[in-house]
Amino acid sequence: MKKFLNEAVDFVDEMLDGIYLAHPQLTFVNDDKRCMVVARRRSGKVGIATGGGSGHLPLFLGYVGEGMLDGAAVGGVFQSPSAEQMNEVTKAIDQGAGVLYVYGNYSGDLINFDMAAELSDLDGIAVRQVVGNDDVASSVVGEEHKRRGVAGIVFVFKAAGAAAAEGLPLDEVTRIADKARARTRTMGVALSSCVVPEIGHATFSIGEDEMEIGMGIHGEPGISRQPLAKADKVVDEMMGRIFAEQPLGQGDEVAVLVNGLGGTAKEELYILFRRVSQLLTERGARVKHVWIGEYATSMEMAGASISILHLDEELDRLIGAPADTPFFSHRNA
Amino acid sequence: MDAMSSSDLGALFGAWRTTFAEQRDYLISLDGKVGDSDLGITMAKAFAAAADAVAAVTAIAPISKILITAGAAMAKAAPSTMGTLTATGFMRGGKALEGAGALGVREAALFWRAYGNGIAERGKAKVGDKTILDVIDPIARTLEGTAEAGGRLANALAAAAVAAEEALESTKSMLAQHGKAAAFQEKSVGHQDAGATVGVLMIQTMRDFAISRSDAVRSQADDQAAFGSETSGGSLS
Repeated sequence: MKKFLNEAVDFVDEMLDGIYLAHPQLTFVNDDKRCMVVARRRSGKVGIATGGGSGHLPLFLGYVGEGMLDGAAVGGVFQSPSAEQMNEVTKAIDQGAGVLYVYGNYSGDLINFDMAAELSDLDGIAVRQVVGNDDVASSVVGEEHKRRGVAGIVFVFKAAGAAAAEGLPLDEVTRIADKARARTRTMGVALSSCVVPEIGHATFSIGEDEMEIGMGIHGEPGISRQPLAKADKVVDEMMGRIFAEQPLGQGDEVAVLVNGLGGTAKEELYILFRRVSQLLTERGARVKHVWIGEYATSMEMAGASISILHLDEELDRLIGAPADTPFFSHRNA
Repeated sequence: MDAMSSSDLGALFGAWRTTFAEQRDYLISLDGKVGDSDLGITMAKAFAAAADAVAAVTAIAPISKILITAGAAMAKAAPSTMGTLTATGFMRGGKALEGAGALGVREAALFWRAYGNGIAERGKAKVGDKTILDVIDPIARTLEGTAEAGGRLANALAAAAVAAEEALESTKSMLAQHGKAAAFQEKSVGHQDAGATVGVLMIQTMRDFAISRSDAVRSQADDQAAFGSETSGGSLS
């Protein structure tokens, strides 16, 4: 696999150098580039932090900015950052109103964020946690707590970020984040593998004419490997699994995120959305917000995911609120 | 020795530091069989940082605070999974001893129980998963039993160490459920668990420390008897 690299070991830090040079609204604390925070902090606001491995841009650090997150701890490619880095971010973003952690359901992140919360508690900072688990493919109904957090976590960032920007207190921001989490479902499909720079070759092999339904964003195996079907049929299968859990019907309103995994053209994502929209309309559900593009990638993996957030009045308002980060911007319609 | 005081804890952490520095290469080789070989490095770093941090807090600090300080230092120095879990154990063990003036058998039981619960909760593991919990649980159970019967600390720790050693032996037949070893489940059979080995080294060191302190106290008492100290000698005559 061809990549633009100097030395593979410098992949993450040189990526971060580039981001700080391009976006002066972001800075870092504790002399550690991997502890990213917004340069200007608003006093009295609940802080929101995330974190996780590199290799998923714009997830996670790409959502640090106005109306979304206040900080992110950045790990190596597909590796969790440390509890110490998360604790440093926490101390930097706490404005006396406490800090909410929103991150994905992966063992390294769970252990380290949980420890960071304990360390922050010793420092007298109130911390709450919401763990994204939107990936329908990664465990069955009834075992949702085992599910991975994937692209749908962007809805949780958006809703929680808007709630914090409105000045709501920590417990309210946490309640809203948890509601957005509980009402989001994602299904993904992979057409090719990712390549971790320091490893240098494909994480898994998949035939030219095959697809893997439910592939994880680090190359975790999915639900089934099948011959690559036509786009509408692929969406029908993915949406079928989402509708099985979200029986959306007449009068329901949703936000839709069609996400490219890094190696798929935006044109193809719009072909997928076309079918998603048809299926929702057939059921009488209405698409209130839509994002199509790359929001949570897996290096250069070809593939896509579809996330559906079942809105209510409160989530509709917060998802539609303005936000402005280097990788995500949204204005009032 | 019936109980350790705050000032004994500094020396105990020093003993743990020595143990994990000496056993570094042994743990690396154990972990290397099915894991990623960093356990010896992680534990040596974690206990060295804890010993430094404990040495820096005052000897009359509450036991609870000393243990929490040790845990926080470990979390910072050794952020790998096992480092974070060990740090969690010390922080939770410290919280469980809030208000305790000394570490006797009852407090040791509380410490090890909270240590295990913290690791189980954070690591989402349970007894039988081939982890350090498989030795922590028998340590805590043995100490809880002795605490009810009212035994001496050195004896209680010695019994707990025996229980831990037996439990370590039985991890050989278990299938790994966590960490990199879980990817080699079948291959993990026949090997004692590296994390559980850490638990055994901890309790053995704690036992040796308590026994050496008891011996020191006893020889001091013997000295006093031999030279006929004024207070006791006088009252006996």
